[in-house]
Amino acid sequence: MLRDITISFAPHISKPLSTRRVMIDVAIGLVPAVAAAGLYFRIHALLLVGVCVAWCAVTEWVCNAIRRKPNTLGNFSAVVTGIILALSLPPNLPLWAAAVGSSVAIVIGKMVFGGLGANVFNPAMVGRAFLTASFGVLMTTWTVPATINTDMPTISADSPNVIDTRTQATPLAWSKTAIKQQAEAKTFGSRQFLSTLTGEVGGSLGETSTIAILLGGIYLLWRKTIGFHIPLAVVSSALVFGGIAYLINPDTYVQPFFHLTSGALLFGALFIATDPVTAPLTRRGMWLFGIGVGAITMVIRVLGEYPEGMMFAVLLMNAVTPLIDRLCRRIPAGGKPHA
Amino acid sequence: MAIDSQGKSSFPRGVHPPESKHLTEDKAIVPGPAVKELAILLSQHIGAPSQAVVAKGDAVEAGQVLGECQAFVCAPVHAPIAGKVKEVALQPHPVLGRSPAVTIAAEQEIEPALPAFTLPADFDPANFSPDQICDAVRDAGLVGMGGAGFPTSVKLSPEAKPPKHTLLVNACECEPYITCDNRLMLEWTDQVIAGIRLAQRACGAAKVYIGIEDNKPQAIETMTAAVAKLGLAPSMTVTPLETKYPQGGERQLINAVLKTNVPTGGIPPQIGVVVINVATAAALADAVIHNRPLTHRVVTVTGEAIAKPGNYYVAIGTPVQTLIDFCGGVTTKGAKVVMGGPMMGLAIADLSTPITKTSGAITVLTKTQIGRAKFERRETACIRCGRCLEVCPENLNPTKIAHAVKSNLLDLAEKYYIGACIECGCCSYVCPANIELTGYIKTGKVFLARQRKKMPV
Repeated sequence: MLRDITISFAPHISKPLSTRRVMIDVAIGLVPAVAAAGLYFRIHALLLVGVCVAWCAVTEWVCNAIRRKPNTLGNFSAVVTGIILALSLPPNLPLWAAAVGSSVAIVIGKMVFGGLGANVFNPAMVGRAFLTASFGVLMTTWTVPATINTDMPTISADSPNVIDTRTQATPLAWSKTAIKQQAEAKTFGSRQFLSTLTGEVGGSLGETSTIAILLGGIYLLWRKTIGFHIPLAVVSSALVFGGIAYLINPDTYVQPFFHLTSGALLFGALFIATDPVTAPLTRRGMWLFGIGVGAITMVIRVLGEYPEGMMFAVLLMNAVTPLIDRLCRRIPAGGKPHA
Repeated sequence: MAIDSQGKSSFPRGVHPPESKHLTEDKAIVPGPAVKELAILLSQHIGAPSQAVVAKGDAVEAGQVLGECQAFVCAPVHAPIAGKVKEVALQPHPVLGRSPAVTIAAEQEIEPALPAFTLPADFDPANFSPDQICDAVRDAGLVGMGGAGFPTSVKLSPEAKPPKHTLLVNACECEPYITCDNRLMLEWTDQVIAGIRLAQRACGAAKVYIGIEDNKPQAIETMTAAVAKLGLAPSMTVTPLETKYPQGGERQLINAVLKTNVPTGGIPPQIGVVVINVATAAALADAVIHNRPLTHRVVTVTGEAIAKPGNYYVAIGTPVQTLIDFCGGVTTKGAKVVMGGPMMGLAIADLSTPITKTSGAITVLTKTQIGRAKFERRETACIRCGRCLEVCPENLNPTKIAHAVKSNLLDLAEKYYIGACIECGCCSYVCPANIELTGYIKTGKVFLARQRKKMPV
């Protein structure tokens, strides 16, 4: 017979879905990109991922211990932050720098706000921004993938005429240099384009292989872990703004689809901008947010000093997310009440 | 607006919890437990509570009025059995905690029987005037039997403005587990159709839609055949709807069938629509044709922790405990008794709570089932994933409202339209952080009502 009756609010059943499951899904979605990083940048890449994940986890545990709060490692958000941060780092970064970045990501990016759910900025991008500002040279040294692709131009910004077998410009950095030197960006041909698809190019760990990123992204979309709104908004707005630049001057600006496959655009659109905590809640808000991310990225890439702008674009749009949420308030199905 | 009978109309958003109707959907309606003592709650509806018109020691006949009131939005209650009034006292109430009730004790246990409803051969709704129907409905104490308990006579009232153009019959039964309306349509088809026709006559609607979810194909078939046999088409149409919760929410049903929305804070009659439940329609036929008050109803007793689940014809006022015992009791797995379905039903702490006019089901859930539910798991931080927004049938922002209430910012909760929430529970159902969004919103509504001094502290 009934000894202990439970009473509570309705509903009395619920969907078997937890924050942990959502985070694990994101981690699964990142597996192809991690694998591609391992393939092209070998053991150091995997070490970077390992160090970032471990250091993020340790930092979060310590923060909770200091604040005398329950341990929150079980929600796996620190793991996801670690992987995303690692995949946004250059392959040659010393492990100590990765550890520093991880600590900053967790402490400044997340825990000072009160932990998961309360942070304003994407923690991984906070960590990366800190590293970019602090260790500029380390953060812009791009190793040649282990499977060397001789099609890629090997000029770099500071020594454009020296053939460097160890490091290589990223496709975006190269196109930027080409613009500066009045070279024709058009010479970037279809073979290089193919390389940006497979990932045999210079760049951050996880951003090089378009195919691996797409695989993971499709998994997340299929699992409904992310919606299509933000990625689609980012990509289409980047294409539109990149297209405008290309139409204005096709000789100096690369064609828009090149922007899509190179740099962190796709990785950012699928894995970074879609971080639910720091993105708007409503669909209209998501569209605005995505368009903003794509536009800012392209402004930085086309007009700015930096070859890549995804990180700043996401951080800037994170900052205006509360405003977007306020702007795009939902109207009830029955319209506004007549009060 | 005509709806293709093959099409699956639906409202936008919503959820699809496991249906769990297999436990009872094939169980024919049978008489419920024998009863000796019944507690008839005086407030089983929305509106002013009834006042007892009998006193302790009075002898009452079956069908006699026990409580009534003169307010417009009110419904009287009647004695389901003959006996003596044992007391007029507070009894456990599923919503109100403890509430006045008339307890009737019979001489000996009264064996139940299914009602003998016979449709007169010359039945024609035109023989009844709208006022006659409304009066009969009011005298019989009819309320919306789908759950809300709004007095039916108020809805049907022919004088009410604006004129009603459409009558929607809510046969969705979108709550998991519950099958009483499904069985009514299959077994008491003539009575249900007669009730619908009388309701149509009373409110003067030119068009009738019967909305049935497509997980009840037999009911769709039976009702379609019955409508065709009587030649009621095209003014009466059976509309199959997508199986989705809360399809049977009145505002959602109107959206699904008529592709229009009831204004926020408004009620369907404002846009010329009347919505009645199948069980109400059946009771309405009984009330108008045979002058029988609403004293019994079909209750689905179900759940994985019930030994003999089924659909029972039960006297209103029967204690939940009696009904559960009649169904073979609760197995050891049982952990939560819910009056209604698992999405919107009310968990009760006291099994002596009587069945009311609005109790369509008793669902007994197991430990594992509620272990997966929010209450048993620790609430974690909102990750703003937006799943609650994706499912909210009223297009609200549940997480914003709930967190406003949590932070005691009732003004902010109102800015996010807390009043428009229908408390369907979809947001709590999907929340990966185990936040009792619906619970917070309900709490916020109570706080707001207190602020406006509409409810005692």
